[in-house]
Amino acid sequence: MSTGSGIMLALGGAALVVGVAYGVNTRSYRDAELQVMTDRLARVEATNAALRAEAAQTDALTARVAELEAALTDAQRQPEVSAAAVEAPPTPQIDAAQPGLGNAQAGADVFRKCQSCHSVGAGAEDRVGPHLNGIFGRRAGAHAGFRYSEDMAMMGADGLTWTLDTLDAYLENPKALVSRTRMNFAGLKAAQDRADVLAFLRQYSDRPQNIPEAAPTAMAPEVTLSDDILAIVGDPEYGAYLASECETCHQRSGADDGIPAITGWPEADFVVAMHAYKQKIRPHPVMQMMAGRLSDEEIAALAAYFRGLD
Amino acid sequence: MTLNRRTFLGTGAAATVALSAPRAIGASHGRPRVVVVGGGAGGATAARYIAKDSQGEIDVTLIEPSRSYYTCFFSNLYIGGFRDLSSIAHSYGTLASEYGINVVHDWAVGVDRDAKTVALAGGGSVPYDRLILSPGIDFVDGAVPGWDVTTQNRMPHAYKAGSQSELLKAQIEAMPEGGVFAMVAPPNPYRCPPGPYERVSMVAHVLKEKNPTAKILIVDPKEKFSKQGLFEEGWAKHYSGMIDRIGPDFGGDKVSVDADAMTVTIDGAVEKVDVCNVIPAMKAGLICERAGLTEGNWAPVIPATMQSRLDENIHILGDASAQGDMPKSGFSANSQAKVAAMAVRGALTGSRIFPAKFSNTCWSLIGTDDGVKVGAAYEATDEKIASVSSFVSQTGEDAALRKATYEESIGWYAGITADMFG
Ligand SMILES: Cc1cc2nc3c(=O)[nH]c(=O)nc-3n(C[C@H](O)[C@H](O)[C@H](O)COP(=O)(O)OP(=O)(O)OC[C@H]3O[C@@H](n4cnc5c(N)ncnc54)[C@H](O)[C@@H]3O)c2cc1C
Repeated sequence: MSTGSGIMLALGGAALVVGVAYGVNTRSYRDAELQVMTDRLARVEATNAALRAEAAQTDALTARVAELEAALTDAQRQPEVSAAAVEAPPTPQIDAAQPGLGNAQAGADVFRKCQSCHSVGAGAEDRVGPHLNGIFGRRAGAHAGFRYSEDMAMMGADGLTWTLDTLDAYLENPKALVSRTRMNFAGLKAAQDRADVLAFLRQYSDRPQNIPEAAPTAMAPEVTLSDDILAIVGDPEYGAYLASECETCHQRSGADDGIPAITGWPEADFVVAMHAYKQKIRPHPVMQMMAGRLSDEEIAALAAYFRGLD
Repeated sequence: MTLNRRTFLGTGAAATVALSAPRAIGASHGRPRVVVVGGGAGGATAARYIAKDSQGEIDVTLIEPSRSYYTCFFSNLYIGGFRDLSSIAHSYGTLASEYGINVVHDWAVGVDRDAKTVALAGGGSVPYDRLILSPGIDFVDGAVPGWDVTTQNRMPHAYKAGSQSELLKAQIEAMPEGGVFAMVAPPNPYRCPPGPYERVSMVAHVLKEKNPTAKILIVDPKEKFSKQGLFEEGWAKHYSGMIDRIGPDFGGDKVSVDADAMTVTIDGAVEKVDVCNVIPAMKAGLICERAGLTEGNWAPVIPATMQSRLDENIHILGDASAQGDMPKSGFSANSQAKVAAMAVRGALTGSRIFPAKFSNTCWSLIGTDDGVKVGAAYEATDEKIASVSSFVSQTGEDAALRKATYEESIGWYAGITADMFG
């Protein structure tokens, strides 16, 4: 996720400071963490310098707004419609606030478009295209025994893994993601069709209940960034509820064996650290996951709550 | 944990307290009543959060037969010699004394959903406005031919912690030189997806030191399991040549046992073994079925509130619930408990309700200082709790990271048990 320059600047400067203070409690992974952070900060700083040169803050902000709007339209893009069809009721949209989860039953119908080349389910076999059992979580071009295009194999080697997000992009416009894929398909333009067919296909891959590391079954709701994160006044009551999730690991008493204490931090440090996880500048995977789904208001609420605990 | 007088009053003499607690509630007229069945990862957390956050506005009763709750989490580490048994035991003293929860040491034997009362084994019943069931799991009858609860002391499951864990550990330590430890692994879904494989790692750790020519045989009905690549890498590294796994392609799904002969029969082939850890197929704790809240083996719930789909006055947490993508783990149960606690308070006292958030991380120990983890974040959809992102430790990680991961798990254990028991 890209961000406005102002945010990155604030994060860049303060995250390092917080990282050092924080490191006192995290002896073992402090060094690795600092190294990764230092590297990333260097890159972030380079980006910032470039950005400063290119445009004033306001420009960057305008760009960010445009970017967010574009992301929004992407998520809600309608199928191309002819003038005559404009009157027709809009196709259902995925509510941006709800995690995107298609309808598997409707997806079974959409899958008819794929069936001449792909099979899925019990006894599925490779045909013109590979069978699609276990596709979620698999590297692109990695299904043993199937001959892929060079491009597909290369994308796999570069790390493309099939998830809801990557499959969604691929199905929308196959050649845009993998330029010379052998999959001769124009793409599914309606976001709902893609969500539905993916929900259908998802049933034939590992289930997260049994294999928790299996690919997700829903798309995380988009979290947007406002530019004055640090100015948000946190709601400590909401923070207290959200904090219950933190307190599964971080003790409320401030004890710190193996997992660092997070009580009594200055709010600004807390906010900066959480955004650093959210943007994957700080490397810890559990914290990246936790912070990744918190909105700015939620982070502020948590900061306000934990500030009050000593 | 030491018991003081108030604690003792709170958790003492089951039968008398069982009967007097509900009466005491009647006296505190008008306060809404929440009854929680099961004082484990889900139930203890829910009881504590409701009592803590309602600040006396809600009367909370916790029904749990055991005075000591032995956490299943870290019970494998006990088997491996990394923890002692007392370090995984927790009492309900603080919940009673600090949080004012009526702790009733008894079994719930039935739920009258029309009258909204829970019947106790010791006699009497407890009325509720909202009921929370978090009874964990029971085993499916006949899941492994030759095994039932009457053979569990010869072929322990050790999948409810405490005396079963102790027994299994003693059996492992008494194995003859070069003997065979067999595990019959469970089919999906079951509590703690990496649990059987962490256990194998811990058994191997003990045998490597005490009985290095011994063998471990896993008979598994599943094609794949969680963190498989990580476990297999670790087994090759720490316990090379000791562990064999027979999957369904070689008959791992066609298994029976004979506790008298101490044999395991895999697709017709009889193996003589020295210890046999049978982990049968699981279902929701029996009380859910008795309350008529199950469909198949589990109790379906509405994701946003963990309310039973069959009775809006009852919330079902943890292993017993069918909620969607979350694995059955202590972390999940604890996470679900907080969402349910918020929903229950909102319904009974009008307190604010925020959007449900769920998460889970499961750490496993493969060998000394060799910890790995898997986790995911979840959101409530109408249909199910859906996973929206996940991560897992990578093969080939360096020793420092693995050690840090292990240390993190120790911190987590301290955190979650404080979150459950205060
Ligand atoms: C070997 C092993 C290792 C594990 N490791 C981990 C781990 O590392 N991390 C993790 O997150 N999870 C782990 N788990 C899983 C975790 O223990 C469970 O998922 C969790 O305890 C589920 O919580 P629960 O509230 O549903 O049930 P439980 O914690 O089992 O609590 C249920 C309680 O209800 C009581 N009860 C049952 N029936 C009744 C009744 N009729 N009346 C009154 N009381 C009743 C029981 O006595 C029990 O105390 C592990 C499990 C095992 C077996």
